[in-house]
Amino acid sequence: MLSELLQGTDTGAVLIIQDSCSYSGQHLLKSFISAALNKEEPVHVLGFDVSEEELKDGLTASTQRLHFHSAYTDPLGWTNRSAFTVHQFCVEELTHLLKQTSHPKPVTLVIDSLSWILRHMSPPAVCKSLQQLKKGGAVRAVIGLLHADMHQRGTVGSVCHLATSVITVAPGTKGDEAVAKITKRSKLGKVTQDEEIFSIKGDFSVTVVSKTSHAGRRQTEPEEQQMDPTANLTFNIRLSDTEREAKEKLALPFVFSKEKKTALLQSGPGSGRILYEPDANDDYDQEDPDDDLDV
Amino acid sequence: MFTELNSILNATPDSFTQGEFILVSDRQSDASFLIHHFLSFYLRARCKVCFLGLVQSFSHYSAISQRLGVSLTQAREKGQLIFLEGLKESLSILIPQETTTGSQAMDFLRDPTVGLQRLYEFVRSSVSSDGGGEEGVEEWGPPVLLVDDVSVLLSLGVSAGAALDFSHYCRATVCSQLQGNIVMLVRCHGEEAEDDGSDEGSEWLLKGLTHQCSLTLHVQGLPTGYCRDIHGQVEVCWRRRRGDGQHTQKKLFQYKVHDKGASFFAPGTSSAVL
Repeated sequence: MLSELLQGTDTGAVLIIQDSCSYSGQHLLKSFISAALNKEEPVHVLGFDVSEEELKDGLTASTQRLHFHSAYTDPLGWTNRSAFTVHQFCVEELTHLLKQTSHPKPVTLVIDSLSWILRHMSPPAVCKSLQQLKKGGAVRAVIGLLHADMHQRGTVGSVCHLATSVITVAPGTKGDEAVAKITKRSKLGKVTQDEEIFSIKGDFSVTVVSKTSHAGRRQTEPEEQQMDPTANLTFNIRLSDTEREAKEKLALPFVFSKEKKTALLQSGPGSGRILYEPDANDDYDQEDPDDDLDV
Repeated sequence: MFTELNSILNATPDSFTQGEFILVSDRQSDASFLIHHFLSFYLRARCKVCFLGLVQSFSHYSAISQRLGVSLTQAREKGQLIFLEGLKESLSILIPQETTTGSQAMDFLRDPTVGLQRLYEFVRSSVSSDGGGEEGVEEWGPPVLLVDDVSVLLSLGVSAGAALDFSHYCRATVCSQLQGNIVMLVRCHGEEAEDDGSDEGSEWLLKGLTHQCSLTLHVQGLPTGYCRDIHGQVEVCWRRRRGDGQHTQKKLFQYKVHDKGASFFAPGTSSAVL
């Protein structure tokens, strides 16, 4: 599913990449940018987290169609040199920014990162802007990077609810592999979820190593359970074949097999029979020894 | 300067990666010995150092640097080291006198909600080169910013978001624009709580700074408890790597602090044990 998302997104798509401290989603974001550039589509990047040089570093695709709006050097207007401040994140300003360069093809807007914007603007305002961008038609697709461990779960949930696809990345077991949990919502409302292990090569192309890791995990568990507990002991508790046969033949004293039950219930010939007639002395009630209570 | 740490980080005073943001953090431990290492390292590398010493006096760092072979007084006189003595400056703000003409750097003490813009402007004026033609001024290497430490700003009433904005601006100026380095110390107390991002304390600040940095050194005590010969463990994590290898690389070392340095070794190979 990761390759499908990289190949093309439908109009009005919002893709959110969630990462954490243990694994940065920056490289996957660059893979998406690289894939869009390879399809000769114009990409506008709102850069808060990284500088232009760092973002363009390593991108082999032609960066002619990559327009970087630097909010990295001065996002809050402290030095009065800013190209884009964080408070300019609203649909009117963004549409104005995008209209400055005209394109024949629809534009992909990449936001790096949404966490910067969420720290300075209220989540409802950000969600509203994202929703307007989604429906507006100024951009074909929005791809945002979100540091999920920097916000409350409610904020992350609200922003991801707007998204048509959410990719949560985490470090994998091997060195350069990572795990991606993908949730995709189609226009008809159907939700598909998938988990893939992927690795990113030097030219930011993504290789999906394996589909779901669940099958792999279940395979290792029965293997672990087959560990032999009788190994590595200083005494012998193994059984030879004859010993095992004798053990299985042994009838345990209090286990009633069918034959034993019938033998006990039916009295055999010659065994004593017990005849019992109820006797008044046997009817001793401990709570009523004189048998005169009217309870 | 600890030679073993230099070989771990692949850095010598003559050649080190530029444009790096190094985050030193500790949890229930004291990582300030690493700040002394980086201070003496960058002074030896002939870099222009701006040191924001918010928790200790100048004489404290001077005395320890003497043992590591670097004279802070000389460096300050030559103009290589610009030292913001936070404790002294804060006194001049809290007890204002007519004769005080100190920098506006600690202005956030007057009103912590304003943010750290003035402190950033102090840093920017310290690290940017002085420009034309003073004779006898030595040419120093790339600028370096050292902060000891960032979490004390939280105790002074500054919000963690403002501290993150400050570190972002410093990174944009020092690392990206001037190709210098930054070393910041963050101290966390208590266990690593899953606190949901709601209360913006030192844990949240640590996460935010981790996202911004390129190299982290996390100091902790040994998980098994106190040991006389091993003072703790350091986890080194390389985050951003350009070119070779996209993945983050982590290494764990144990350390022991001596009188004139610190030694680092792989876990279990302490000289006391072998």
